[in-house]
Amino acid sequence: MLKYVIRRLISTIPTLIAVPIICFLLTRLSGDPTELMLPMDASDEARTAFRALHGLDKPIWEQLLLFCENAFRGDFGMSLRFGEPASTLVLERLAATTELAVASLGFAVLLGIPFGVIAAQRRNSLVDRAIRNAVAVSQAIPSFYLGILMIMVFAVGLGWLPTGGRGEVSNLVLPALTLASGLVPLIARVTRSCMLDELRRDYVRTARAKGLKEYIVVWKHSLRNAFIPVITVIGLQIGALMSGVVVTETVFAWPGVGRLAIQAIYARDFPVVQAVVFFFAIVFIVVNILVDVVYALMDPRVRYQ
Amino acid sequence: MAKIKGRTSNRTRSLPLAAGLLLSSMLGMPLLSKPAESATLTIAQSYDPQSLWPNFSTSQEQMNVGNAIIESLLWVDPAIDKAVPILAERYEMVDPTTIKLFVRKGVKFTNGEPLDANAVVQSIKIFMDKAITPAYARDAAKIGSVERVDDNTVLIKLSQKYPAIDLLLSQIYIVPPKYWAEVGPEKFGREPVGTGPYKLKEWVRDDRVVMERNPGFWGKAPKGIDRIVWKPVPDDTARAAGLVAGEYDVAANVPVASAPQIKSRSTVSLLSVPSYRIFKIDFSNLDKDPGPQHNKLVRQAFNYAVDKDAIRESLFSGIATPLRGQILRSNQLGFDPAIKDYPFDQKKAKELLKQAGYPDGLDITFKFSSGRYAQDKEVAEAVAGMLGEVGVRVKMVTLEAGEFLTQLNNRDLGAMALRGSAPQDDPDAMLSSYLSTWRYSYINDKNLDELIKAGSQELDQKKRDDIYKAAMKLMHDEAYMIYLYQANDLYGVSKRVRNFVPRGDQRFAVYDMSVE
Repeated sequence: MLKYVIRRLISTIPTLIAVPIICFLLTRLSGDPTELMLPMDASDEARTAFRALHGLDKPIWEQLLLFCENAFRGDFGMSLRFGEPASTLVLERLAATTELAVASLGFAVLLGIPFGVIAAQRRNSLVDRAIRNAVAVSQAIPSFYLGILMIMVFAVGLGWLPTGGRGEVSNLVLPALTLASGLVPLIARVTRSCMLDELRRDYVRTARAKGLKEYIVVWKHSLRNAFIPVITVIGLQIGALMSGVVVTETVFAWPGVGRLAIQAIYARDFPVVQAVVFFFAIVFIVVNILVDVVYALMDPRVRYQ
Repeated sequence: MAKIKGRTSNRTRSLPLAAGLLLSSMLGMPLLSKPAESATLTIAQSYDPQSLWPNFSTSQEQMNVGNAIIESLLWVDPAIDKAVPILAERYEMVDPTTIKLFVRKGVKFTNGEPLDANAVVQSIKIFMDKAITPAYARDAAKIGSVERVDDNTVLIKLSQKYPAIDLLLSQIYIVPPKYWAEVGPEKFGREPVGTGPYKLKEWVRDDRVVMERNPGFWGKAPKGIDRIVWKPVPDDTARAAGLVAGEYDVAANVPVASAPQIKSRSTVSLLSVPSYRIFKIDFSNLDKDPGPQHNKLVRQAFNYAVDKDAIRESLFSGIATPLRGQILRSNQLGFDPAIKDYPFDQKKAKELLKQAGYPDGLDITFKFSSGRYAQDKEVAEAVAGMLGEVGVRVKMVTLEAGEFLTQLNNRDLGAMALRGSAPQDDPDAMLSSYLSTWRYSYINDKNLDELIKAGSQELDQKKRDDIYKAAMKLMHDEAYMIYLYQANDLYGVSKRVRNFVPRGDQRFAVYDMSVE
């Protein structure tokens, strides 16, 4: 197992090298950030000085070499907008994004799995159809719209929750639910179909025949076996969660990495974009490895050589 | 516990129920809606400041925040439309290029350093350093040198005759020299020390800047405001919602779509401020952009063909100010009330096109941004449609905001382009971008050049007014642009806030504000 994890970690090295380089080249394609950083009427002198300060006047391959050299030491350069290290800006906002991601993953699992199980249990019943429809609607609504809708209902209309910001638990509810809304349908649907497969199996019939209570048959025996694909989906969707964070954090004024990313992209703040992309890449890789590890923990049949 | 165990047989059913209950109990908890404490003023803007040092950039959001801590020499007060003395008690012109500045006496920075001539000289030197304040390089170029005369007097030598001294001095922010030397610009921006009515208590990036009263403030402190909390809320609708929900006392830049919601509430009001942002469609008469727009009659025809009132009414719900056939605003020096905009007249437009030699209409390329200005794409589409009605076949080119800016600066926008300009409040700031030598000018007109150059150096107000009036007349007759509208900024303000007066460049100061 440990060997496997180490091998997986080693195999991620090319990705970790390629991602920042591709990102570097792509951001350079978007144009010169000087135009966006300085006011419209800034003089040519000021522009030249700005480019020199941030090394933007050097040939692109030279910039790339310098970037690789510094990135290797964990230095992603100074933000063009803030004049501070890009990595610091990302790290400062990490806690907020993690908090939001974990909370929405929690909501997604807490809502998605029960929905899926119940829908499977009562296949083609009214409940099943209601859940399937609700889930389809939830997946169809774009998160920025759902976010505004939730603000209008729960913050402005009912006054139960704040419209945005971070601090207390109440601040977390709406953004986490919004972010979870894209995930719940997937988890529910995969859970439902896997559960349908499992509930048809012999061991389920045996369990029922020997008089086990239905809830133990369903929630303990079947669900555990149906879990592997569900975990795969959850693992894959953490990636989607990271991109959802960008929109949700903006709507709810959540001080996280996603919002930093979108501001940096608009401003062509290359160092920050690179740092954020690198960070997201690491999240992807780690989550992927974790998912594989969890497989083994959940299912004794899975063994890694 | 036993009871719960005894009921486990229902767990299948009760699990989602429990999840639901958990949710609803979380929702039902009286978590929020604690009304803002009476002594706290909460202001929501679009962005978090990059730095709390106002001279770090020219972004109005960061200047608004930083200005409550660090003060400038003068402040151009929109309530009276005049410069009021802040850290400069007054100034006088020794000769046309020398300013004698009298520094306010008895003022201390919150770290105990005195505000004196030395602090002002050092701050002006920082302002002049292109490496530290590249955003202000154009203003700084007006200053030749600066020297201390005595403890409270500073002499500023200008590099040229310059009429907008108030504007120049109001952009220089004064920092404590010893502390600045110790920490440098970056750290100073995070942990600023100033002379203003408030000092920094806490700054959580992208979440809040909290300030509390500076007990040693030299002036009259804002009444009833012990704390100011600045919230960066990027989403316009969410910002307006937070105002309506009572979380913010002031919401800057609320969208037109939220205006009815704000107006319908008794606790908040809507403030519409004519902004410095002027929108127009600029034609190019550069040799590299050949085409029908070189013909004055065509340009005039386009002006007649566009129904500007309809654009303001339908795309901005009427919340925009008409231009009067000139790019200067009605309260600016050089504005000519005698000039009237081209009225909407399709017949006249067709006639002019015929006269210009295009009886069967013409083809033209029209570039515009999507997402750089409010409703830019919609405005462009409306204009193209209106031009189509008089026989102009418009080839529309939509550009992403950053790409638009790049093309604008490289003079690549071609025959005609929708542009907003938000220059500083001096006619020269607007007109200098039409100088043929300007980096991204699309107009080459020797007569106009002469007027603009003369205006930029004329110290006599009356003469300067006449020069700019002549420029307005020339540009109007030549129809170098389609005059669209002057944007309005919308603010949502709680009724308990008094004297919130923002300027057309979205700057506002807290000096005269109060909370009931």
